[in-house]
Order: sequence, then C-alpha cells, then structure tokens
Amino acid sequence: MNSRLLLASLITWLAGCDRPGVPHGAQPVAHDSLAWTQSAFNTNCRGCHSQGAEGAALPLMNANYWAVATDAVVIEAIAHGQGRSMPAYLDDEGGPFTPAQIVSLVQGMRSLWGAKGSATGGEGGAISPRVIAGDAGAGAAVFSQACAGCHGPQGSAGSVIDPMYLRLISDQGLWSATIYGRSDLGMPSWSQTMPNRPTGLTAQEVADVVSFISSHRGIAQKASDGP
Amino acid sequence: MSFLKASLAWIEERTGAMAFIAPLLFHHVPRNAKWWYVFGSATLMFFTIQIVTGVCLATVYAPSAAQAWESLNYIDNEVPMGWMLRALHGWSSNAMVVMMAIHMLQVFLHASYKYPRELNWITGVFLLLTVLALAFTGQVMRWDQDAYWGLGIGAAIADRIPVFGDQVRAMLLGGPIIGGETLNRFYALHVFVLPGAAIALVGLHMVLIIKNGISEMPKPGAVVVPSTYRKEFEERMHTDGVPFMPDAAQRDMVFCGVCLIGLFALAAISGPIGPGGMPDPTLINTNPRPDYPFMWLFGAVSLLPPASETAIMLIAPAIGVLLLLAIPFFSNSGERAPSKRPAMVLLAVVTVMAIAALTWEGTTSPWSPVMDGWSSLPTPAKFTRGRTPLEMQGAVVFQYAQCRNCHALDGQGGRRGPELDAVATRLSYDQLVRQVQQGGGNMPAYGKNLDSAQTAAVVAFLATLHPSNEPDSMIPGAQLPIPTGSAAAH
Ligand code: HEC
Ligand code: HEC
Ligand code: HEC
Repeated sequence: MNSRLLLASLITWLAGCDRPGVPHGAQPVAHDSLAWTQSAFNTNCRGCHSQGAEGAALPLMNANYWAVATDAVVIEAIAHGQGRSMPAYLDDEGGPFTPAQIVSLVQGMRSLWGAKGSATGGEGGAISPRVIAGDAGAGAAVFSQACAGCHGPQGSAGSVIDPMYLRLISDQGLWSATIYGRSDLGMPSWSQTMPNRPTGLTAQEVADVVSFISSHRGIAQKASDGP
Repeated sequence: MSFLKASLAWIEERTGAMAFIAPLLFHHVPRNAKWWYVFGSATLMFFTIQIVTGVCLATVYAPSAAQAWESLNYIDNEVPMGWMLRALHGWSSNAMVVMMAIHMLQVFLHASYKYPRELNWITGVFLLLTVLALAFTGQVMRWDQDAYWGLGIGAAIADRIPVFGDQVRAMLLGGPIIGGETLNRFYALHVFVLPGAAIALVGLHMVLIIKNGISEMPKPGAVVVPSTYRKEFEERMHTDGVPFMPDAAQRDMVFCGVCLIGLFALAAISGPIGPGGMPDPTLINTNPRPDYPFMWLFGAVSLLPPASETAIMLIAPAIGVLLLLAIPFFSNSGERAPSKRPAMVLLAVVTVMAIAALTWEGTTSPWSPVMDGWSSLPTPAKFTRGRTPLEMQGAVVFQYAQCRNCHALDGQGGRRGPELDAVATRLSYDQLVRQVQQGGGNMPAYGKNLDSAQTAAVVAFLATLHPSNEPDSMIPGAQLPIPTGSAAAH
C-alpha cells in the first residue's frame, strides 16, 4: 500500500508543472531587432566581412556597399553561398538561418550600415553582371588603361588574372571587388579616380573588365558556382 | 488457475524454457554475499533502461547533420514527456558508467577475478570498453559543439595510430574532417553495432556467472587453490548457499529500486543533457566539454605538454586496457582479502583519486579551440595590408577551412595549435604545404578537403606571416609548385 502511495506521488510530481528539469525550449529567436542583427553578424559573418582594412573578404560594415547592393543579390549570396568560400546560411542547406531570419538580417545590416535612403538598394540592379553582358575584348583595353598600373606585371598590387586566384573567386565577386574597391587597402572603387579614368568606370566598362579578367580563369565558372 | 498451469506446462513441455530459466533463478549463491554484490545488477538495470529509452528515442531522432539538433529540440519540446525520455537516457548512461566502475572496483578489491572467474573479468573489461564507446558515440548524437570536441579528440587519437592513422580516421569520420557523414557513421555504431556487441557480452558475462557461481566474501586465509577450488566451492554452495531467488535477488531489487528513484529524480531535476551550442547566432562562446565519462581524459590532455600527447592519448589507454585484461593472469590464485593485498588496494585508491582529480581538472579548465573563430574573428588589418589578391583569398580560405578555430592571429583565435603570426619565419614554403595537406600532431590533415587552388592560396597567405622587417626571401622554395593529387577534382 505504502509503495503504491509513493509511486502515485512520484507520478503526480513528475506530471506537475514546475519540474526544474523541463527544458525551456528553443527560445523562438526574436530576429527583428538591430541588436540581433549585430550579434548574428558578429558571430557568423564578421570573421570574413568586417570594416576598413580588417577581414579578408568584402567589408559589409560599409556604406558604399549598401548604396549599390540590391537585396536580391545579398539575400541570394547569404542563403545559397557565393563562389568557393562564402558558405550557404539557409537552414535547408545546412546553415543556421530560416528564410525569414535572412531577410531580417539583410534589412538590419542595411539600416545599421547603409546610408539613409538606400532602403531597397539602389543602382545595383542596373549594373549587375547579370544584366549587362561584358565584352572581354573591350575589357582588355580598360584593364590595360585603368588597372594594369597596379595589377600589371610591374604593379605592386599583385595579379588578378592568376588562374589560381580566379579559381577561388566568382564573377560576382570580381564584379563586387571592382565596384566597391577596398579603399583602406589601396584598391579604388569604380567611381574613384583611376589611371586614365579620372571619373572612374562606367557600368559597361565594369562588365567588360570583369569578363576580361574572368576569361583567364581557364575553367568556366558561373556567377554563383559552388565548390 | 489450472488452465494457466496447464498452458505453462504445455509450453514447458515443448520449449524446456523453465528447465533453462530455473537454474538461473534458483542457483545457490553464498550466504554472506550481502550488499556488496548489488552493483552488477544495477549496471544491468541501467543498461536495460538505455535500451528501452534508446529505442523510443530512435523513433523520433533524425540522424542527419541538418536535422539532428532540430529533432532533439522537437523531442524536448513537442513530444509529450520527450524531455524526460532524453533526460533518462542521458543520465542513465552516466549512471551506468559509474555503476560499472563501482562494480569493477568491488570485483578488483575482492579479487573475484581469480580462478575460475578470469573470463568473467575479461568479458567485463570488454563490456567496459563497449559501454564507454556507447557513451562516446552517444555524445556525438547530440551533434552540438560538445560533440565536435569528442570527435576532435577521437580523430586526434586515431591520427596517432602508426601507419594506418589516416585510414582509421577516415573510417571514423567518413572523411578527413568532421562532416555530415560522420554523424551517420556514429549513428550506425551507436544503435546497431555497439548495442549488439554489448548484449552479446552481457549474455556471455551472465553465462559465466551461472557457470562459475558468485564468489564468496573474501576471508583472510581462505586462499584460492585452482586444483581444488571448484570442488570445494560447489560443496560449500550446496551446504551453505542460499538460492539467488529470493534471497540475493531481494537485495538487488531494493538497490535497483533506489537507483531507479534516484535516476528519475535526477532526470526530473537536471533535465535532458544538451543539446548544447548549435550554429545558432544567439549562442556565443560555448565552451565545449565532453560528457562526464571522458572528462578525465579531457583534463589529462589539457594538463599535458603537447609533446607527450601521443603517449597519453594512444599508448596510455592501450596499456591500460592490456593491464586490465592481464590482471587475472598475473595472479589467479592465493589470497583474496583486501587486507592481505595492500599493494592492490593502494593501486585502486590511487587510480580512483587520479581519475577524480582529472575529472575535476576537466570540468574547470577551459579548452582551447574557439568554435566560431572562423566566422567571428576577422583577419587583422595588419595581415591584409599589402597582400596580393591570391594571398587575400588565402586569408579567406584560412577562415573558411576553420583554421582560425585552432590557430590565433594577433592574439585572437583558438589555442589548440600554435599562433601563426610569424609562422613563415619557422617553416619553409614546402613545410607549410606539407603541414596543411598532411596535418600532424593534433592538426587534421586537410589533404583532399582543400583543392590545389585553396592550398596554394592559404599557403601563399601563411608565407606572408612574418615580421615586416624580414623579407619574403626568408622563405626558401617559395617558387615551388604545390604538389597535390587532388587538383583534378575541380
Ligand atoms: C591604385 C592601384 C589599383 C588600381 C588602379 C586598381 N587596383 Fe585592384 N587592387 C589594388 C590593391 C592594392 C588590391 C589588393 C587589395 C585586395 O586584395 O582587396 C587590389 C585588389 C583587386 C582585386 C582583388 C580583390 C579581392 O580581394 O579578391 C580585384 C579583382 C581588383 N583589384 C580589380 C581591379 C580592377 C578590375 C581594376 C581596374 C578597373 C583595378 N583593380 C585597379 C590596387 C589597385
Ligand atoms: C568564411 C568566410 C565568410 C563568411 C564567414 C561569410 N562570408 Fe560572405 N562572402 C565571403 C566571400 C569570400 C565572398 C565572395 C565570394 C565570391 O564571390 O567568390 C562573400 C560574399 C558575400 C556577399 C556577396 C557580396 C557581393 O555583393 O558580391 C554577401 C552579401 C555576403 N557574403 C554576406 C555574408 C553574411 C551576411 C555572412 C554571415 C551570415 C557571411 N557573408 C559570412 C566569405 C564569407
Ligand atoms: C583542430 C585544430 C586545428 C585546425 C582546424 C588547424 N590546425 Fe594547424 N595546427 C594544429 C596543431 C595542434 C598544430 C601543432 C602540430 C604539431 O604539434 O606538430 C598545428 C600546426 C600548424 C602549423 C605549423 C605551425 C608551426 O609553428 O609549426 C601550420 C602552418 C598550420 N597548423 C596551419 C593550419 C592551417 C592553414 C589550417 C587550416 C587549413 C589549420 N592549421 C587548421 C591544429 C589545428
């Protein structure tokens, strides 16, 4: 009798509500605050994309980027990855974020680092390599005038037509490197003064020079080719 | 009632089941075998709980890298009492290891492994190994950051195996590094191979117990003489023994009942173990830890100078197991009483204390890798200035391939491997290539996981890591092509 009582009280206790062991559950992560964006970015992205001269990939804490980049390109890069070294962050592809989280991340980054008024991303739509077809022949001329001073055989900036290098970067990446530059590292952005291009490059010239550089890859690679 | 009897008799007549079971239940055991002998039964009870809860969990758990963590949270939060199931499985696993250790210690102190029970001991040692392997693979099932720790150590141990290191590692992990395939392998081990082995070994252990009987309490002066022991033991059991059922079984049941209540209380209070940090943006700075059964190993590794790690991680466990297996052969006769075997008692005490101290060390010491270093710690500006595009891509690969989790740059990053700020002054270009491709020490061999362009880039980047007053020409062989067999893969 006694033991039955014990058992009964044990069961009631286990079924009761304040058992300290019950997990509180995966807190549905509130992903709509800028604080969340910042912490998600710091944990997941900052190792590659930072600001100024810091970080080896394109700085994203950077107003120039958000002035040009469209949401579509950014979301696609984050969700599915880009090139060889940008991982896919979508949960369906093994990443940590739901589609909704990726959208809030992008909106959050835009309001943290973008200039006011770039809410949807401006010009990028019109100058994307997906829109303008580049001509490698014309690009060769642009390259020898505007870029070769730094990237040619005598230049100090190193080759950008080295096939080893080109196997690691996508066309989209080349395009972004040319458009945004890295002013802290001495690489001008497309609207800055370059040899023989005092007012920078036109959208067509960017497309041409990218297809010229890309033609040295040797292996065909699409804009968002995975490894 | 008589119908029941009749049907039992019907079955008995055809199967002989009772004739088989009765000796198991009513075999005579020593009268003085009191509370000392309950630990084995308790271990068996925990094992049974593991099987029952494990089968239940397997119905919901998704053994794929993308879903494992999710499915555990689903069990915790959505499945009614699912959290309890996970808590029971987790804590009962720890309890089983502890109970098993106590059982083993008792057998050792009472020298019950002496003639004729050498094989009881040896199957026991194999059971210990199997159960530890189950605990280890079980921690991998959580597929969180602690799992990564366990795998890292496992892989590092496998790496040290001479000649076949690479193959064993690849067999364990399903590739040179920890990936999605790793989980599938460990799942197969955890739910099929190891439980199968454990059940077989438990069966064997039981058969031997029935065959050889349970040893009596050791008495000083009552020495084991192999030539006469069995006959005398059987006589004593016949005249002085008590049937296992109900005499000894009663005590077993009481003890198991107490253990069971303790287990439920522990599960209810402490909740399920893990899953810990997952690639969740809000969980920063998880400090990965192995489960308790391996904490002492973790402590040992964190205390040791790297040079001795091969000895500790590969050779010491192997010697330990061989010693355990050899114990009954060193001394299978003579005194059994602890008071007559002071050296053995001392050995046991020292071992227990060492494991306790190392466990303590393991729980308190920080471990060195930074799990999200690769995605959270940017390449310092001083290492991006003046780099060529290829070298910059190398810096990206350095993050992408998670080198940063183990290697610091400018003081930030993991401490598992050496800081690489000035690595180019220590290693030549081809030594760098070799280190990346073949690994060594506790570093994974990246081999085919990086193609020739990635290797070329990361090595080009590493080759720039030297104080600015030392020129690149310090690096001999800088013009050599990257030797790699994997170039064709891309
Ligand atoms: C004033 C010198 C200079 C000029 C002119 C210049 N670059 Fe650069 N560029 C650099 C430097 C310095 C770097 C190295 C920093 C880096 O890798 O981001 C670089 C890097 C690059 C990269 C690699 C980016 C990366 O990280 O992978 C590309 C691509 C590139 N430049 C393209 C061009 C193109 C196209 C032009 C001509 C339109 C050009 N550059 C003009 C200095 C220059
Ligand atoms: C391991 C380094 C790494 C990490 C971590 C990383 N990225 Fe990237 N990311 C890259 C590289 C490299 C590229 C360029 C790839 C290419 O084009 O070849 C890139 C490209 C991008 C682009 C496209 C840029 C453009 O317009 O061309 C976006 C947007 C981006 N990353 C966002 C993110 C965000 C957000 C995170 C964190 C959730 C993140 N990245 C984490 C390396 C990384
Ligand atoms: C799991 C942790 C880990 C990871 C990940 C890792 N390493 Fe290591 N690495 C080590 C350890 C430990 C050593 C010391 C090896 C020894 O004792 O010989 C080491 C040594 C090295 C060395 C030689 C340093 C010296 O001073 O002798 C280089 C270079 C190196 N690693 C580069 C890399 C690169 C590049 C990557 C990424 C592709 C990488 N490591 C990833 C752990 C790691």
